[in-house]
Amino acid sequence: MTSLLGGIFLGWSLGANSAANVFGTAVTSRMVKFWTAAILASSFVLAGALLGGQSGIETLKGLTHFTSNQAIIASIAAACTVTIMTLLGLPVSTSQAVVGAILGVGILNRQLNFAGLGKVVVCWVGTPVGGMVLAIIVYKLLAAVANSMNLNIFQSDILLRLCLIIAGSYGAYALGANNVANVTAVFVGAGMLSASAAALIGGLSIGLGILTFSKKVMETVGQKLVRLDPFSALAVVLAQAITVHIYALVGVPVSTSQAVIGAVLGVGIIKGVNTIQRRTLVHILLAWFLTPFVASVFALSLDFATHLRYIPG
Amino acid sequence: MFKLLFKKERQVQELIFGYLDNLKKTQEHFEQAMDCYFDFGLGENCDFLIAQTHKFESRADDIRNDIVEMMYSKVLIPESRGDIFRLLESIDLIPNHFEAVLFMVQSQKIKIPDFIVPSIREFMRVSLECCDLVIRQVDAYFNKTEDIKALVSTIDSHESRCDHMEREIVSKIFDADMDPFEKMQLKELVAQMGEIADQADRVSRSVYIINIKRRV
Repeated sequence: MTSLLGGIFLGWSLGANSAANVFGTAVTSRMVKFWTAAILASSFVLAGALLGGQSGIETLKGLTHFTSNQAIIASIAAACTVTIMTLLGLPVSTSQAVVGAILGVGILNRQLNFAGLGKVVVCWVGTPVGGMVLAIIVYKLLAAVANSMNLNIFQSDILLRLCLIIAGSYGAYALGANNVANVTAVFVGAGMLSASAAALIGGLSIGLGILTFSKKVMETVGQKLVRLDPFSALAVVLAQAITVHIYALVGVPVSTSQAVIGAVLGVGIIKGVNTIQRRTLVHILLAWFLTPFVASVFALSLDFATHLRYIPG
Repeated sequence: MFKLLFKKERQVQELIFGYLDNLKKTQEHFEQAMDCYFDFGLGENCDFLIAQTHKFESRADDIRNDIVEMMYSKVLIPESRGDIFRLLESIDLIPNHFEAVLFMVQSQKIKIPDFIVPSIREFMRVSLECCDLVIRQVDAYFNKTEDIKALVSTIDSHESRCDHMEREIVSKIFDADMDPFEKMQLKELVAQMGEIADQADRVSRSVYIINIKRRV
């Protein structure tokens, strides 16, 4: 069990970081209370991990063949990277941290599956673009529906709040289904866990991270990038959830952060590009590039350190 | 279950309709007080009606405070709360103007010369019609029963008519052979009366803006 602590730590940091992507916009636009969001998100993440997390686990475990020690090192390195980024309040990609860590360990041990890696990296690029395109489509569709309904202020508020809760819960489900592989796939690859046990442990640890440490990143996603009105928040959450769910079905773990930021940019394009705070965007982009690099260096250093032997002089 | 979940929203909605009913009553008493003043001058009856108008105006403040208190106990989304709060603040200025006109007449013992009474009565009638339309418009906004844009233009044309009438009355006052102090006093009263239609027009525009702001 102690050997899984690295994975649990990674799941916790993923939950702390990624819950913002499904409920951050709703919470910061004050449509949903933080605790309502946190409880719903953690429950649906667990459901998503258990019901739809298997295919992502299969993809990620195929990237390399680790021993149990290497699996622990990779997960600890990824967890440390995500935690540092979370403490800095930056919504980073856990997928990038995990792949960076796998790369770090793989480089030192010369065991990498470049074909699988290529597929994952292509999806990294496709995620924000997909989020952006889907956000534009979802926004226009929802706007057409909303404008055709003759609702008064009370009815539209109630409907909007319900839709945000439903979309957020769907987003949490997609997050669990897609991202649980990031947390425990390496242990399945190392033969330490079965796929269903990995989904359960991963889902629980992500849920714990959401409940205990997700508030700060929620504030970054919802407030610092674009000031979102409640309707835009709904479009963003829904577009992000659909994007991540599609990748969960394909079986490639992607970043919910990249999907949500793509979606926020999509809404920004509809509402006028000036609403985007470029400085924050630059910081987030920097974090994206730094994450795999830092995780890789962490993993490489840890793996190297475990191979050092004390030779008495 | 659904009704139970959004009980507070329904309560706010009921309070807003209660506020509008109270506004109608304030307006009715103001109208009666003005009629009494035009027909019989200041006296016991008029004082009673002025006191009644004040009573309903105070009740409007109480209802508004209840609405604000309930809204800020996490009912509605913040944008909607802000919109409703600003709208109520704006509507609430209408009964304040009713009261100001009555208090001015009562405390300054103003006597309106006969030659401008018909014009002022007509001026008041059109101003109060503006208020009726605004109440209808606000009700339509919360119930989605009528075209808000059409009401905005009707209220706007009424308000323009009121402005025109106000200028005519002031002109008549200054053309007349009267004590300059009385002229200034009457001018001030007419200007205060003119505020009723002006405020109704401002409320109407706010409703229109809030309504289009919510379109996506």
